[in-house]
Amino acid sequence: MRRMTADVVVIGGGSTGSGIVRDCAMRGFSAVLVERGDLAHGTSARYHGLLHSGGRYVVSDPESAHECALENDIIQRIHADAVEATGGFFIAMAGDDLDYADRWVVGAAQAHLPFQEISVAELFRREPRINRQAVRVMEVKDASVDGWQMTWGAVRSAQRYGAEILTYTEVTGFEISQGQLTAVRCLDRKTDQDLIIDTPFVINASGPWAGQISALAGCQPVEVVPGRGVMVAMAHRLVNSACNRLIKPGDGDLVVPAHTVCIIGTTDVKVDDPDDLAMPRQEVQQMLDAGEILVPGFRQARAMRAWAGARPLVKDSRVSSSDTRHMSRGMSILDHQSRDGISGILTISGGKLTTYRLMAKNIVDVMCEQLNDPRPCVTDREAVPGSESGRTYTVTHRLADRQADRLRDPVICECELMSRQMFLDLLEAIAEPSLDDLRRQLRLGMGPCQGGFCSLRATGLTCQSGHFSADKATAALRLFLKNRWIGLWPVLYGDQLRQAALDNWIMAGTLNVERLPQSEEVVL
Amino acid sequence: MSRAIVIGAGLGGLASASNLARQGLDTTLISQGLGGLQLGAGTVDILGYDPEPVADPLAAVGRASAPHPYSVIGPEAVRAGVEWLRQLLGPELLVGQEQANVWLPTAVGALRPTALFQPSMAAGQARAEAEWLIVGLSRLKDFSPALVAGNLNRTDLPTGGRLRCRPVVVDLEARPGEADSSGLTFARALDRREVQDRLIAALRPELRPGQSVGLPAVLGLNDHSVHQRLSEAWEAPVFEIPLPPPSVPGMRLNQALTAEARAAGVRFVNGSSVIGFEAADGRLSQVVTDAAGHPRPYSADVFVYAPGGFESGALTMDSYYQIKETVFDLPLHGLDDIENLITGDHAAPQPVFAVGLGVDAGMRPVDSAGAVVYENLHAVGSILAGAIPWHEKSGEGIALGSAWAAVQAIQEELK
Repeated sequence: MRRMTADVVVIGGGSTGSGIVRDCAMRGFSAVLVERGDLAHGTSARYHGLLHSGGRYVVSDPESAHECALENDIIQRIHADAVEATGGFFIAMAGDDLDYADRWVVGAAQAHLPFQEISVAELFRREPRINRQAVRVMEVKDASVDGWQMTWGAVRSAQRYGAEILTYTEVTGFEISQGQLTAVRCLDRKTDQDLIIDTPFVINASGPWAGQISALAGCQPVEVVPGRGVMVAMAHRLVNSACNRLIKPGDGDLVVPAHTVCIIGTTDVKVDDPDDLAMPRQEVQQMLDAGEILVPGFRQARAMRAWAGARPLVKDSRVSSSDTRHMSRGMSILDHQSRDGISGILTISGGKLTTYRLMAKNIVDVMCEQLNDPRPCVTDREAVPGSESGRTYTVTHRLADRQADRLRDPVICECELMSRQMFLDLLEAIAEPSLDDLRRQLRLGMGPCQGGFCSLRATGLTCQSGHFSADKATAALRLFLKNRWIGLWPVLYGDQLRQAALDNWIMAGTLNVERLPQSEEVVL
Repeated sequence: MSRAIVIGAGLGGLASASNLARQGLDTTLISQGLGGLQLGAGTVDILGYDPEPVADPLAAVGRASAPHPYSVIGPEAVRAGVEWLRQLLGPELLVGQEQANVWLPTAVGALRPTALFQPSMAAGQARAEAEWLIVGLSRLKDFSPALVAGNLNRTDLPTGGRLRCRPVVVDLEARPGEADSSGLTFARALDRREVQDRLIAALRPELRPGQSVGLPAVLGLNDHSVHQRLSEAWEAPVFEIPLPPPSVPGMRLNQALTAEARAAGVRFVNGSSVIGFEAADGRLSQVVTDAAGHPRPYSADVFVYAPGGFESGALTMDSYYQIKETVFDLPLHGLDDIENLITGDHAAPQPVFAVGLGVDAGMRPVDSAGAVVYENLHAVGSILAGAIPWHEKSGEGIALGSAWAAVQAIQEELK
């Protein structure tokens, strides 16, 4: 058993938890983050990739819109390498409620949201595929943000300030003495070793899993109602900017360009278990229909992959009204001291990725207050490692790199232009990674072939470099292909079905992967 | 002179076209792409699993039941089709037999059953306690000798016992200054003696007596004797292990078959999709291609349709999950359980890939009641319903057998 000590333990390695651990570390607290899987393997990456301008909220909630507008600027600055400054449009179509557009303009002014109305001719010039039924267009500062890249940026910054990041580490319990939290018990899932972290303070940022974590501390039930959102990635950028419908926000009213694809989102259906997010065909169909409204011909384009995320919505009548000043819109902070008589634990839930930094600031402010140790938040003042130049991401960023090293470094994943050296460097840096852990940072296997060619090369490299035995490499390949299939099969039609047939001719026909001996080693 | 149109340039299309032309038909082969041979392993798989490993594939073909295409093709057509290919290619390019599968290594280190194979692969027949040196090329990314050797070493051979494999990597420049060369680039380089000599010298220090040498299947594209030359130089048996596409062994077969079709007088219309057809009184009269500039009709008396399945786009599923055969809109078979054609179980074969055309004994597509759709249209290869060829390792057997059966039926028809 391992034992360590920290001023604060943050539970959950999504964007919120990563933001909190960075905030704590930058304020000088010794902080540890524990995450049961990989960073941003949950809700923070299972979304549509939109960095909100605030335009979505100007009618329903102008204050929230204002928050988004401010945070949008900050994120583009401190996470430049995760943000593509695509810009965005709110588009009213013939037949839409045009009063809504008028209310939107009023709300945007109230929220101090930078926007300008442009002509539909200008819209068609910049978005030639958009439905010709467009009648009114507002241009906003929506952008596309990579949830993995952003979370890793926050974590690397936190590490620079001394924070410890423990992935694949699951919280198994808490030690509480006379109503005061004293330690967190964890299990390192890769080594199967117990770990105890002595600490006077825990921030529970486990999102849709927040109820399960607070139950371990013996708190009154925290009712988390995970809302499932299904998204579909198309294999092309059908739009250049984030294209929203200018209507009351609803399902599938948004297409966001992200890297070489674009993503339509999303549905919202309440589910019981955030670990069990089925993707019913009917919800996929709903997204395709919605896409057809924004981009006619959407159904003829190649769908590449679908995924579902769980929104972390907390219903809690016991939230004390005195807490609201600490709250960001749509976010809840539960103080388990006043609520359950246990000091040293806060739970945060709700919110959105765009305001993750603000949420982190707010909850760390509450912690400082409870510890009677006021220290100012400085997370908006410094770019995270990798974003120092302030240059935002462009979709062509790897082209120049590969052009430069093409004569010495093979391209392992052609779809995403991942080189052998990129793969080997990360393989060296992570202990016992799965191919998916590597994928989340390198985009291995995320293009149209969905691993048909590159997963074999990557598997070979894990083995050839001496990191994995053939047994383990085979287990890693099988897990990777299995996980790819989860997102593939709900949208397997058209060219993606054709691709699957080709991939099968290779994997089964030529290589007989399915009849390799079973592995004794396990890859998480 | 009767005229024949063959659609598709894979094994089934090339075999049909050559045989029709040799029988005196004025034969035109229309193809959209380069044909599927270059995507495969370059072996002749007849039946590897049914679902247990198959020892005698021809006997297993005889046991096939509906809806498997072998149940209508029958073992005699498969035998005759394979025999034709064997005669055509000769022992320089094809060895093995249709009554016995052998187990050959793959580029992930699995063993794979096949019936006929290229002589350059022959020394890779797995037997207990054999010592293999598995050689990777540092500039070829599709082959990791450590993975291949490691997996082979932990495989119990079907005949009992295990192999003893050792991986090694040598550096061979296929093109000056290039770090990332495809298998095809290596094969073209290894057609040259100078490059062969460099490979011979690079590996020599690694060789131990009694070992066989396994290499990725890039040992020459046009020169089919490279493996022999290496074997003589190293005084060791040498074998090739097929790679993912582009497949050099597949290209060798494609070159030989295309040359034979041309020699037989087949006219090739490449790069053309069939976009329409004319039919009357239950017979096809012409197909229309999308040649540059304008649609172009091709009339004929008989038609062989060998377009491939979903992988070629001949079968498609739209975003409402409706499946279509794209050229003739023929009735599809295998759609009974339409809700479960694609399942979330990654390890299971997906029923959608067994959807295709049902045919009579003359390979004529039939509807669900068994009625022939067009008297003079014959379907060949992986568009046939009832099998998932990559899963059971039956691709070439179905292609050759159905092509043979179609050609026989056409002969009867024209008598």
